[in-house]
Parts: sequence; C-alpha cells; structure tokens
Amino acid sequence: MAKEGLRQIAIYGKGGIGKSTTTQNLTAGLTELNKNVMVVGCDPKADSTRLLLGGLAQKTVLDTLRDEGEEVELASIMKEGFGGTRCVESGGPEPGVGCAGRGIITSIGLLERLGAYTDDLDYVFYDVLGDVVCGGFAMPIREGKAKEIYIVASGEMMSLYAANNISKGISRYAAKGGVRLGGIICNSRNVDREIELLRAFAEELGTQLIHFVPRDNVVQHAEIHKQTVIQYKPQAKQADEYRQLAKKIEDNELFVIPKPMTQDRLEEILMEYGLMDTIENDYRI
Amino acid sequence: MPKLKQNKNGQTNSINQVRYGCALGALHSVVAIPGAMPITHCGPGCVDKQYMSLAFYNGFQGGGYAGGAVTPSSNLQEKDVVFGGAKHLDQLIAASLKIMEADLFVVLNGCIPEIVGDDIGAVVARYQAQGVPIVSAETGGFKGNNFTGHEIVTEAIIEQYVDKYARNKDQKQKGLINVWSELPFQNTFWRGDLTELKRILEGAGWQVNILFGYGSKGVQEWLTIPRAEFNLVVGPWLGLRTAKLLEKKYGQPYLHLPVLPIGAKQAAEFLRAIAAFAKENEVQTEKFIKEEEKEYYYYMEYFTDFYAEYWWGLPASYAVVGDAAYNLALNKFLVNQLGLIPALQIITDCTPEKYREAIGEQYKHLAEDVSAEVEFAEDGYIVGKLLREGQYGHKPPIIFGTTWERDIAKELKGHIVEVSYPVSYDVVLNKTYIGYRGALTLLETIFTTAISKSA
Repeated sequence: MAKEGLRQIAIYGKGGIGKSTTTQNLTAGLTELNKNVMVVGCDPKADSTRLLLGGLAQKTVLDTLRDEGEEVELASIMKEGFGGTRCVESGGPEPGVGCAGRGIITSIGLLERLGAYTDDLDYVFYDVLGDVVCGGFAMPIREGKAKEIYIVASGEMMSLYAANNISKGISRYAAKGGVRLGGIICNSRNVDREIELLRAFAEELGTQLIHFVPRDNVVQHAEIHKQTVIQYKPQAKQADEYRQLAKKIEDNELFVIPKPMTQDRLEEILMEYGLMDTIENDYRI
Repeated sequence: MPKLKQNKNGQTNSINQVRYGCALGALHSVVAIPGAMPITHCGPGCVDKQYMSLAFYNGFQGGGYAGGAVTPSSNLQEKDVVFGGAKHLDQLIAASLKIMEADLFVVLNGCIPEIVGDDIGAVVARYQAQGVPIVSAETGGFKGNNFTGHEIVTEAIIEQYVDKYARNKDQKQKGLINVWSELPFQNTFWRGDLTELKRILEGAGWQVNILFGYGSKGVQEWLTIPRAEFNLVVGPWLGLRTAKLLEKKYGQPYLHLPVLPIGAKQAAEFLRAIAAFAKENEVQTEKFIKEEEKEYYYYMEYFTDFYAEYWWGLPASYAVVGDAAYNLALNKFLVNQLGLIPALQIITDCTPEKYREAIGEQYKHLAEDVSAEVEFAEDGYIVGKLLREGQYGHKPPIIFGTTWERDIAKELKGHIVEVSYPVSYDVVLNKTYIGYRGALTLLETIFTTAISKSA
C-alpha cells in the first residue's frame, strides 16, 4: 500500500502533445525540490523515461514478465534516472496485437506486489498514452491509484477535443473514487491567442490553466541529447519554466471534478478565441 | 440503486438457472459431426463449463471422440491477453494436427481472444493454404448463446470448407435434401430425434443429409450440401439463417416447417408438406405414411384401454417450458393427439426478436379450435412465478420442462417430464420423442410419470 500523503499523478493528453517530455522535465524540477519521484511509463512504446535515463534502454515490466514469468525482481524493471528518479516502463504488445490496456493493469499490479511503492516516495507519475480509449488506460485513475490528473494540451483543436474527452473519463471515475483534475498544462504550439483559449477552456471545465509552457527549441536539443532541459541546460529560461510548473504542482490545491462540455460548446469557445477565424483570415502558408 | 431495464415479465439482463450455453458451446455442433474435431482458443474453464452443462448434466450424453476431455484448448493466460494469443493458437493447431486424427478441424474462439483482437482467421488461413481441412469460427460468448454459435459454426464450415472442396456444386441431385433442425447436445434427445427424422424422410423417398449424429456420413456428407435439391428447416427458427445463406450461395430453395413432427397426425402432415413443396415422392410418401400408421395405431389400439379406463390421477392440462422447437412440437402433439389443455407455454431459448411474432402465430392455431399464448422468458425466478400463477383447472398439471422445474412441479403437486436443457434426471442414449416411434416413447414417458407418482 502506498503511504498516506504520497501524491500519485496521472498525465493524460492527445498523442504527440508532449506528455512524456513534460512529465520528465517537470519531475526533474521536483527532484530539485528534494522530492522522491517514481515515473511509470504506461505506453507500449516504452519511451516515457528516456530523458531521465539518458536513453538507457531498459527492459519493460511486460517483457520481463513474458521472458521470466512471475518471479521478477524489482531491480530488473526499475532503473534510477536523473536526480534519483525511479523509472519504470510498463511496455506492451507489438502494435496491432494483444491488449495494451490489460498490459497496464498487469504491470501496475506487479509493481504493487513487488513493493515499488515505498514509504519514502513523494510522487508517482503515470505517463499514459493518448486518449483514455478503454478501461485499461484508465487503470492509473481507478480507486486507490492516481488521485490527481493533469491534462497536457495546446491551442490546437484536436488536442482540446481530446482533453475534453479525457475529462469525461475523469468525471466518470470521480463519481465513485477520489480522482480529481488538477489542471491543464499548456504545451505551447505557438498558435494565436493560445493562452487565452486555454484559460477559457480550463475555466469552462471548472479547472485552471496551471502553467503555460512556451515553445522553445532547447527542449528538442535536450531530447536529442537524451536529457531533460534541467539537466541539459540548467540555466536556460525553459528550465525555469519546468521548475515553475513543478512548484505549482507541488503547491496546487485546486482539485476538481471536471465538467466536460458538449461538442457545440467546445466549438463555440474555439470560435470565440479566433481559432476558426485564423484559419479563414490569417492563413499564412 | 440504478433502475434495471425489464421486459413485461420483469426479466432483467441477468438470469438464474441457465437454459442454454454460450456461443462457444457450439463446439458441440462440431463434436456432433462424425469425423470433425473442434480446436478451442479460449480461457481455462470455458470448454469444461460448456461440456459439463450441455453434454454431461444434460442427459449425460458424453464427450465421445472429439468432445469433453478430448477437445484441444489453448487455455489462455494473462500473457496471451497482453501480447495476443495468435502464436499460442498457432502452436496449438500444429500440435493438434500432429496427434489428433480428424477429417475436419474447426477452430472456435472464446471471449478473451475476440476482445483482445486475436486474428484467428489469419492463423487458420495459413493452414488452409497448405491444404489442411480446417476452418475458423468466431464464437466469442458475447456474440450470443449456443444457438447463435451453431449458426456461426455452420456458416464457417460451409463458407471455408464445403465451398472450397465440394465437387459438382451446380449439379443438383434429385431427391437429396439438407436437414437443419435440432441443436445437437442442447436438445437432449437430438441423437434419437435426428435418427427418426432421417428414417421417416428416407421412408418417404428422400435422400437425406442429416449432417449431425450417427446417421450422418460426416464430413463427406457435408461436401454434398451444395448438390441438394433443397433445404429443409424443421423447427420454428433455428436453421433459417443457414437456409437463407445456402439459397443465396447455391440457389437452393428452402422449405420451412416450424413444427417438429410428433405422432402420426403431425408426421403425415409434415411428410405431405415436403412432397407438395417439391412435387416429388407423392406416391412413396403416401405409401410410407400408410405403413407407419398401421404400426403406430397398432400400439395405440392397445394403449387406448389405459387411456380410457385409467381415470384417476391423469393430468388434463399442461405447461411446456423449453426451447422453441420442442415447445411448439409438444404443443401440437398434446393438443391434437391427446386432447390435453394448454395452460402455459414458455420459450426459453432467447429466440431472436424477429422470429417471435411468427412463433406466436403458430400457437394461435394449435388446432382448429385451440389457441394458446406463448411467453418468452429465461430467468428461473420468472419461469417459476409464471408456472405458479398458471391456471390448471381442478387437477394438477403436467409440466414438460427442465430439471429446474422439478421444485415447482412438486409445489403444484403436478408431474414433470424433462424435455429441455438441462435434463439432469434422465440418462439419454438414443431415445427419441419425435416422429412415429418417438411419439410412442413420449406416451410411455408421460403416463409412466403420471401413474408412478403414487407408487
């Protein structure tokens, strides 16, 4: 059982929005606040801890289970990464076969049995792929696991559609468990009036835009070097952005049951903040 | 508590006292084809459960050459769920081909691989390409019950095997008919019933592809399906889907006779309808009917002493609880040939909605002057409630039902004859309750049950 006060956080968002990048950079920030953090990658691609581990390929929980059976040592699936973070990759089947959702359920169950949730942990982050497509991907937010959720989004329409959809999943589980939405993290794509749009969107959901992470190429540079920005260029302005995000999450007290909006309302907000107009009137290609 | 959706009898989406298996239970349809072998791709316990319920505690019919403990299974575990079980199935098929001898293998999946998305068709296709007689049928339990599964399996064999290997498909063979009737194993007396059905059809001049059971020539017989002159669907609805498929595929017409014939009157009507449909075998049909009736009424003549004189303790009204085929068949016989009064009719096979109205119509015309209502219910509590509330007159009824109805029969101080799944207090080998001979056995059973009550 996890200790009282341990904050288990699930990060959701549209595929390719930057969940893994954001999670790893912000956990690097949390380690600077002397927090003990475990990151559990819940994506069959197993690329959620690459920046913390310096690209070190580690065997996923499910690969280990498949090859070695139930007698798995914790040490063989958990590696220490930047700032003492404990890194685990759930892994999953090859694309197109098997059930990745069940894979997540299996691997989180195994982590619990192996005693990965030690008393000294302050945070556990679950970096979950894409949308909440089935019950398996909702595993981290079921009762007794992650109580806090952050959705990574940008000013792009599809990411907001996904965020709204994810909120539906959260409100479903919130009704019977304690899971709450902690906020929206904007991973900026430099679209017009992005911050206003995200604020309005967050407000409509009944939550907050917890931080606006601007777009900065240093993130890509750090990624090529298989590092978080805080490790790669600790002095960079972007490193401070992630430190701020970490601090805001550490201090966050606004946890809500989101109020997902109808498709019509979502599109109204998009219209209001000019996104639709931009396409028609300010098409720069 | 959330409000549960209920039908007019109060039945929700959950039932107690099962009255059929799941789609995977149709592995028994494969077992019923001589020379065919099921290979099952499902979780641990699935096959055992279907076998124990359909083939063991239902007349103790047994597993035989390909059923029960023999049926190969992949016995899926968690890692098959996570990583997919296709490779596991591949290994199982390869191993089964090595040690199991069969003319046709039918791979059936259960719920787990179908939810996870195992492409069993692709695995099986590799063997088909090598000329292995093997087909795949997606019978995940959520597809429906074993009646549905039976149609899926039948269609799979026709599409993937018969169509590929049958010769001279266009040359119809005069007088050859395919018979689609009872559901093997689910219908406890299917072995004897199909034998009798084949016997009377052959007697009337037809060549019969009975397709399941001892009287079938197995896989070779299935290969002659496309050459049949027409398809004969005997029963209220099962087999219609197959007949329609064959009509489309091979241009074969079909004749649908909803009443499985019990007794001389119904059997004669049945045989005459077939001859009239095909405009063939009219003379032979009449000749056969005459011979059979001579024998049938020979026994009846002696039986009438009992029926006329034994006036204490014989039931006057009845209830039938069972699958549509047996339910309608019994009603026709009991009304028309014994003069009993239909009190309550409950069909328990989860008949597809689209057939229900037509089935209801059949009950409206049981005889010229006898009409009955039919209920569709499966839940044991509701069936019990309906039986308890039934109006049977001043004498306790005889209930034609399942083992589940034993308690209520006692409560009503009535009699019970087990005719529908599960039949757990009969050991059944080749007993039949249909046709000419089956009707005589049925009479013996009914009245032995009635008079032995006071023994």
